[in-house]
Amino acid sequence: MAGAGREERAWVRAAQAGSASDLEALFRHHWPGAYRAAYLAVHDAAAAEDIAQEAFLSAIRALDRFDRRRPFGPWLHRIVVNRAIDWTRARALRREVGDEQLSVTPARPESRPNDLNTETMSALASLSPEHRAVVVLRHVLDYSPGEIADLLELPRGTVNSRLRRGLDALQERVTKETS
Amino acid sequence: MSEDRVRSALRQVPLPDEAGAAQRAWRTVDAAFESRERIPRTRKRRGPLVALVAAGAIVVAALTPPGMAVVDRFRDAVGREPSHPALVKLPAPGRLLVLSPAGPWVVHEDGSKRLLGDYEDASWSPRGLFVIATRGRQLVALDSESGEPRWSLSRTDPVRDPRWSGGGLDTRIAYRAGDALHIVAGDGSPDTVVANGVAPIAPAWKPDSHVLAYADAAGRLHVVDADTRRQLWQTSTVKGVRELAFSGNRLAVSTSRRVVVFRRGAPRPFLDLPRGHVLLDTAVLSFGGVLYADYDPRSDSTALFRSDCTIAGTCLLMPDRRMFEGPGRISNLVTSPDGAWITAGWPAADQFLFFESASRRLGRVDVVSNVTAEFSPGGGSGGVFPEIAGWAPPAQ
Repeated sequence: MAGAGREERAWVRAAQAGSASDLEALFRHHWPGAYRAAYLAVHDAAAAEDIAQEAFLSAIRALDRFDRRRPFGPWLHRIVVNRAIDWTRARALRREVGDEQLSVTPARPESRPNDLNTETMSALASLSPEHRAVVVLRHVLDYSPGEIADLLELPRGTVNSRLRRGLDALQERVTKETS
Repeated sequence: MSEDRVRSALRQVPLPDEAGAAQRAWRTVDAAFESRERIPRTRKRRGPLVALVAAGAIVVAALTPPGMAVVDRFRDAVGREPSHPALVKLPAPGRLLVLSPAGPWVVHEDGSKRLLGDYEDASWSPRGLFVIATRGRQLVALDSESGEPRWSLSRTDPVRDPRWSGGGLDTRIAYRAGDALHIVAGDGSPDTVVANGVAPIAPAWKPDSHVLAYADAAGRLHVVDADTRRQLWQTSTVKGVRELAFSGNRLAVSTSRRVVVFRRGAPRPFLDLPRGHVLLDTAVLSFGGVLYADYDPRSDSTALFRSDCTIAGTCLLMPDRRMFEGPGRISNLVTSPDGAWITAGWPAADQFLFFESASRRLGRVDVVSNVTAEFSPGGGSGGVFPEIAGWAPPAQ
């Protein structure tokens, strides 16, 4: 892990000096997690791609000011998760005001999902954006509850309760499907 | 059922077009990296005075209502009205287009506002009857009052930077899809590719015409007739192009530190900031002078300067005047339709500033606070500072 951290710091340092190949290494390392986190949070492939991409663009805009002593991942993931929450809230708001013509049709997945995947996505969709965010940070990106609390600027207790509720909902749906 | 099972289920959800998404995103990120503005890292031990000034600015920003004490320091240059806690009215006739994470908002003169929907980039049509917006790979023309989509089209690459212009009723929209520059008529058809390999920079229309300027990936600027696709002129490479804007028949090209004005391909230096400073934005004032935002990374502060030189080339030979200064970045300079006011966005203070652009001076400044929360319905303190995308005439 420390080795990965050193490697990441080297990529950031070289990218700050203008190395596109090191920026690409940083991008390839973090893109899968960022895209998966965004997709699981918003359930829309085009939006997830844009959210993850915009997070990287934000990172580039701030690259020269980035403190190399800090890890890059949490900084990127905070942007991804907050943008995903904003996107989901905005969609919900539009539905509330009844603007049907502007609603988004979720993109069709290219591969046919199996039932477990369908149930997993369905269970996630039943959670609020805030609950989804902590579940994704914990179980997809492997952050501890304390780290999630720092990332989202939430009390530790709030993170724990959201994790518990999210896990209960997921377990209930996934167990039903697999039993 | 264990946590491991849930974790495994979440990690097995197939992601649509995962490889394609990564490839498209990398192309965009790489292009942005190539054209980004470089901010020199602050050196340590730069000198006690600079450190003192920077620390003072931070303390001022932290201990007072955001930035107001800094505003006070400059009330000799501009007369400040009391800060408004919300955007309750605009100081001039017209409507603002404001971009937020929730989408674009139209703000009317009386402060009422409407969220047009879940779109990303957006800009006004020439008379403000419509807004052209993007959503992923879609380009959508919206009625600016009702938000109702009038037409849309889809591309295979993400759509960015739509710009609408043209004379009379025969209008055109230019936009980028991936690295291709497209032009479509104002009614949504036909759509043609004007150029491939363009830079990730918004194209610019010459006002009331079908003449368009864009930058290619190598940094060359091209001016083309959109109808015939004939190139009228082009320039040699300009490094670090960030923004293009026509003023009459001259093209003003902003980089991270300079403004160069081109007339039929011939360059004339207009502005050159001190080494290490960053040019954040420019706006043409009502009398033809220019307001520009000069960011100094060493003190992490922005100064707004007024130049009496015009893009056309006339100068009063007076030094540029510092009109305003504050911690952090101040940019997003947008001129009102009547030319009487200019906006600026100040994220560090969470404020929109409205400067009166009186003849040969900047008049008073109206300050509107708490703008992030105002354009983040239901959002908390983690909102994103909104961006003013344009100022259109009043609704007809």
